[in-house]
Amino acid sequence: MLELVDVSYRYPGYARLVLRDLNLRIDDGEIVGLVGANESGKSTLCLVASGLAPASVGGVLKGSVMVDGAPLAGRPTHELAALVGLVFQSPNTQRSGVTGTVFEEVALGPVNLGLPVAETLARTREALALLRIADLADRNPAELSGGQAQLVAIASILAMRPRHLVLDEPTAQLDPEGTRLVGEALRALAGTGTALLIAEHKTDLLDGLCQRVVALEAGAMVLDGPAAETLGSPKLEALGVEPPSAVRLRRAAAERGLTLPAGAAA
Amino acid sequence: MPLAVLLVGVLPSALAAGILPRLVRLAGALSLPIGISVALVSIFTRAGETVLFQIGPFDATLEGVDFAAQIIVRLFVLAAALTLFGLTTEPRAFVVDLERRGLPPRLAFAAAATLEAIPTMIERALAIQSAQRARGLDTEGSLRARVRGVMPLVGPVILSSLTEVEERSLALEVRAFGRPGRRHLLWWLSDSPSQRLVRWALLAGLVVLFAGRAAGALPALP
Repeated sequence: MLELVDVSYRYPGYARLVLRDLNLRIDDGEIVGLVGANESGKSTLCLVASGLAPASVGGVLKGSVMVDGAPLAGRPTHELAALVGLVFQSPNTQRSGVTGTVFEEVALGPVNLGLPVAETLARTREALALLRIADLADRNPAELSGGQAQLVAIASILAMRPRHLVLDEPTAQLDPEGTRLVGEALRALAGTGTALLIAEHKTDLLDGLCQRVVALEAGAMVLDGPAAETLGSPKLEALGVEPPSAVRLRRAAAERGLTLPAGAAA
Repeated sequence: MPLAVLLVGVLPSALAAGILPRLVRLAGALSLPIGISVALVSIFTRAGETVLFQIGPFDATLEGVDFAAQIIVRLFVLAAALTLFGLTTEPRAFVVDLERRGLPPRLAFAAAATLEAIPTMIERALAIQSAQRARGLDTEGSLRARVRGVMPLVGPVILSSLTEVEERSLALEVRAFGRPGRRHLLWWLSDSPSQRLVRWALLAGLVVLFAGRAAGALPALP
């Protein structure tokens, strides 16, 4: 279970709070979507939920972030890595730049953990298989497409086998097929008991994937409910978030006096 | 002695590796700029008894030519040896082997990242150049136009590299890069007895050279 209790946060050197009085609990195996306009605090929430803020980023955190009931505060960052994984938006900045093959790139995290070679190999193969990119194993990570590179970045975090996973717009640079693959992999991961928090602009992905979706506005949580409820909320567009296509289709049909059969817009 | 190193060590090794023409070309290009400066300064400013010719107030002396030749040979041998290393050594393999021999992972990463950063920077510069050209920047034509075309690239390349630094370092943190302690590397270089023998022989040769020089048995530059 990943839990944020009364969390407020501001970056070093700034007086303004970027996150304000947040409470969020993600149970094991639950997938929670996070939406909001740019600058609403989504990426900051991802950093805080993974423990990197303030551990690496600095700043002031009030409240606490708990993993399975234990606070993250005070732990060294390499311990955080095994508790909460964080996938960033840009595949380029996540590439280590020191490996010659995708296999080595994915294995870098387990190697850093000091695991025995056999364990590293097993984790790496498993992560590649989970994202169905085993065929990329011998490719140069610097020569992949954006979508492939992001799948490698996600596999690199999965190979760490974190208890829980936070993803900051993981499909921003993926094509529809890549997005679908990531969605399938995340669903499979949740099936293993991992709690997932996914910040995303692609509400269609969240619509089919998440049990719950929360929305941020200026660092405060303004919507929190089952995915269908939040993503179907009339407030969503006012927050600068485009509703999923199924919701838009239902609304368009309703404006024309049409009623879609149940499940037709799913 | 430098010629002996070149003829007995560097060139045969390059020939065996099939890179002799490339090595000569690269080493020549590397040593040429400094070589020209050394030649000009030495030939015309070194005092000597045998004046070959004069240009204005400057005398070109035979002693100057001799000195310049010695320095240029040394420069070329140095450049050739470094080029031989660069062309025959996979940077990543070199770094992995250094770490296996006890180099701290952070230093090994810094070395590898530095080596790998060059192609990334070139790629980024080309992308920015394409973007600038699409907006009318002239990067072809005369030397002056090319130089002028480079200037708008410098700022974006440096700034974009700097803005990525924080996310890059965070991305490494989430992969336990900061963990202290030993790592079990996935692979290592094979190190045959003959390779070890050559390394020890080179080291012994180096010691002999130092000792010979210290004892005055080997000549120094005039």
